Amino acid sequence: MEEFVDRAIEYASKMGSYVETSYLSSERNTILMKNGSVSATGYSKDSGLAFRVVNSSISFASSNISDWGVIRGEIDYAVRRSKIPGRNTLSEEKSYRDSWEVAERRRIKDVPLEEKLSILKDIESLLVKEGIQMRILAINDNIEEGLIESSGGMSIRHRLPKVSFFAMLGFMEGGNFEQGTIELGYSGGYEAIDFWDLNNRVQQEAKALKKAAAAKKIPPGTYDLVAGPEISGIVAHESAGHPSEADRILGREMAQAGESFIKKEDRGMRVGSDIVNLVDDPTIEHSFGFYKYDRDGVPARKRYLYKKGLVNEFLHNRESAGRMGEKSNGASRSSEWDKEPLVRMSTTYIEPGEYTLEEMMEDVKNGIYMRSFTEWNIDDIRFNEKYVGREAYLIRNGEIFEQIKRPVIETTTVKFYSSIDAVGKDLQFSAGTCGKGDPMQGVDVWMGGPHIRLRDVYVR
Amino acid sequence: MMDLNKIYEKVSRVSDQAAVKKVTSRTTQVRFSNNAIDITNTWNEELVTVFLAQGKKTFSFDLRDERALEDTLNRAVSALKGIEENNDFVSLNDRKNSYRTKGNRDEKLRLLNPQEFVNSFIDQVKPFFKRVGGVFYSRSISEEVATPFNSGSQGQFGIEFVARAFNDKDYPVQTSFMSSSDEDFPLLEKQGEEIIDLSRNVRNIREGEEGKFNVIFTPLCFASIVSYTIPMASAFQVDSGMSMFAGRLGDRIGSSIFTMYDDPLEDSMINAKLFDDEGTPAQRTPVIEKGVVKNYLHNFSTASKFKTETTGNAGIIAPTPWQISVEPGNESIEDMVSSTKKGVMIVNTWYTRFQDYREGVFSTIPRDGIFYIENGEIKETWRSIRISDSLLNIFRNTEGITKETKKVKWWDETLPTKSPYVQVADVNISRSR
Repeated sequence: MEEFVDRAIEYASKMGSYVETSYLSSERNTILMKNGSVSATGYSKDSGLAFRVVNSSISFASSNISDWGVIRGEIDYAVRRSKIPGRNTLSEEKSYRDSWEVAERRRIKDVPLEEKLSILKDIESLLVKEGIQMRILAINDNIEEGLIESSGGMSIRHRLPKVSFFAMLGFMEGGNFEQGTIELGYSGGYEAIDFWDLNNRVQQEAKALKKAAAAKKIPPGTYDLVAGPEISGIVAHESAGHPSEADRILGREMAQAGESFIKKEDRGMRVGSDIVNLVDDPTIEHSFGFYKYDRDGVPARKRYLYKKGLVNEFLHNRESAGRMGEKSNGASRSSEWDKEPLVRMSTTYIEPGEYTLEEMMEDVKNGIYMRSFTEWNIDDIRFNEKYVGREAYLIRNGEIFEQIKRPVIETTTVKFYSSIDAVGKDLQFSAGTCGKGDPMQGVDVWMGGPHIRLRDVYVR
Repeated sequence: MMDLNKIYEKVSRVSDQAAVKKVTSRTTQVRFSNNAIDITNTWNEELVTVFLAQGKKTFSFDLRDERALEDTLNRAVSALKGIEENNDFVSLNDRKNSYRTKGNRDEKLRLLNPQEFVNSFIDQVKPFFKRVGGVFYSRSISEEVATPFNSGSQGQFGIEFVARAFNDKDYPVQTSFMSSSDEDFPLLEKQGEEIIDLSRNVRNIREGEEGKFNVIFTPLCFASIVSYTIPMASAFQVDSGMSMFAGRLGDRIGSSIFTMYDDPLEDSMINAKLFDDEGTPAQRTPVIEKGVVKNYLHNFSTASKFKTETTGNAGIIAPTPWQISVEPGNESIEDMVSSTKKGVMIVNTWYTRFQDYREGVFSTIPRDGIFYIENGEIKETWRSIRISDSLLNIFRNTEGITKETKKVKWWDETLPTKSPYVQVADVNISRSR
């Protein structure tokens, strides 16, 4: 349908103060195994055209029907809808003409189905050997290609290949059950498997799960907490990334994912100790949420959401920036060809500091080392949150003492970040699918950080 | 426009069994926040999904453009040679089936102008709130399925409406409506009154307390609870082991007053079905009946593996629930509240996550109206609490169910559900420290 992009822009430009047409195609392969059986093997090429028209209000329309009459009808309908009063402000931005792509060292198209299957079968054998009874494994790849043009002269073409791996594991022994998930994502080709060190990573998870099933709960109380990069990542994503999304701050998600404890006028408000820096950066090479230009055609750049413990910068697309009278900082994304662009994260992380893990641990008399999490949630203003440890240990006098079962932290965003007194020099990322919007749009993200140490955290 | 019959003809030549489903949909959505429309979205789409089986080897693909069929089919044929057998696949349903006709009327719902409805709703509730937001969907879907043994077509039109309004203290309440029937049209028109009435309960706002509480779940809130429960009854999920239903077929897991169905025969709900993805007639399936796990949800292959009959829930790879009905009881919501000595009524919840799928151990975050009741009266309105409990406890401790029900659907948190108010004893409430 790409052949309709120029025609659609030419036709619609006369009818809107701003008009944008995009073609997006996602070519996906999936293999799913359940407890050793190949449950599903699939392929899809999902593609279509979308139009955004701005007049008295904003209207978005999409169709995958390859017929100019149908496309013209959808544009006409969108134009009519855009003339009904509503919100209609987009920030003024420079129009770029460019193309970009992410390179693949091992091209997705060169990797046969049999090889992808053998990656999963190796993992399956490893897990069976470890005695993990419940195993759902999936490997996916996706080549996204797109072209977006606007009445203002923007024209951006891109090609973005991605590979991802997912595992859900369950282990039962003596009536004790533990579950765990592994999510890995990479922009690029099948060199991802080496980048992830996949087999070792899965093996480590399997061993920790087995130990967790036999572990005991600790008595509730106040402990020092050393949190691993997976915890830093989820906290960064949930309680720095989401509350910094300007559309939430403006209330645009009020009936769905909610709003933010941060208000429009809160830049400079203290939310953490002065060693806490939170970043969102779509430009990290091969990151799962990588892009060079956002969905509005604005160049991507690194953003400091919290700097030295203070609220610093919001994430903007052209719509939210326009409503706040600011410039976009390139945070516009949509998950598929037929979804409206929203303010989204990319790679969100706590910026590394100066400590080694050993230095952090040696100063802990009675504490907990939480390497990974299982259940978690956060309220709809991103303030009250809960993290349940999956792989976690008791620390006594600076040494790991024993593995413990599902320690629970229920705290607030400000309390969490304000309790951080040491930030590690390491940096690791994990992948996730961030959900937002109505209809729900799941976008690929990385989240991460270093090890961090918090003092006096209530754990049950 | 893609032609199902032509596609079926081509794909059936290269496979032992093929199932082709074509979905054509037209959807209009109006999103609004802070008393104004943000955007109008429209989707005009076609999607063809193809499932192929060669012996026990299986492959699926989606098609957005019929011109891509030849290339995609070559890829599928090559894949079928290279992959292993799918031990979960037995066959598509090989019985010749006939289908019922739907009984709902929807002419009035179809005539609604989404933007006009939203603007008039905003005007109605604006004097009572500082700000209101929400979403209106009108969606028309038609579906055709062809297999070697069956073919059929079905369609459904539906409206979804959700509004969340904040009072002058910025405390939110929420209402939700979903229907495919003109009979519910008056209820849609009453959504404004409903959210205004709900806000009249908001008083003495404060941080909530920890402890065990008698909880009254509103239909929207209980819909969320059962929407996270019923997918675990899919035989795929049960077979994986990651389900609280695994190993519990026939066991009592809940109170004898609690019955929950997968209910695609309720034509006034937006996901009513005549048949599933392999042409099996849809049916009303009790998943939990009088507290006992009665059925898993099956397609033909999972039913064969479990030595039972299909329940008409294909998904050919994984059986899926369609829409939920919770059996009403005999109580009234007024009596339920007035007989509560100390408890909490919760309007809505979100962000439900599990730490243990086998025992259904989860937490979820109540929102949009948490009303503390003492001696039969709403005394306070709470915020910042969490339900940290297990589904098994909640179903076991269910003590009261109203005769009044509501059809709801909200965002990705609830499947289309018809639910009463449900009263549960000893629900564990936690909060941040």
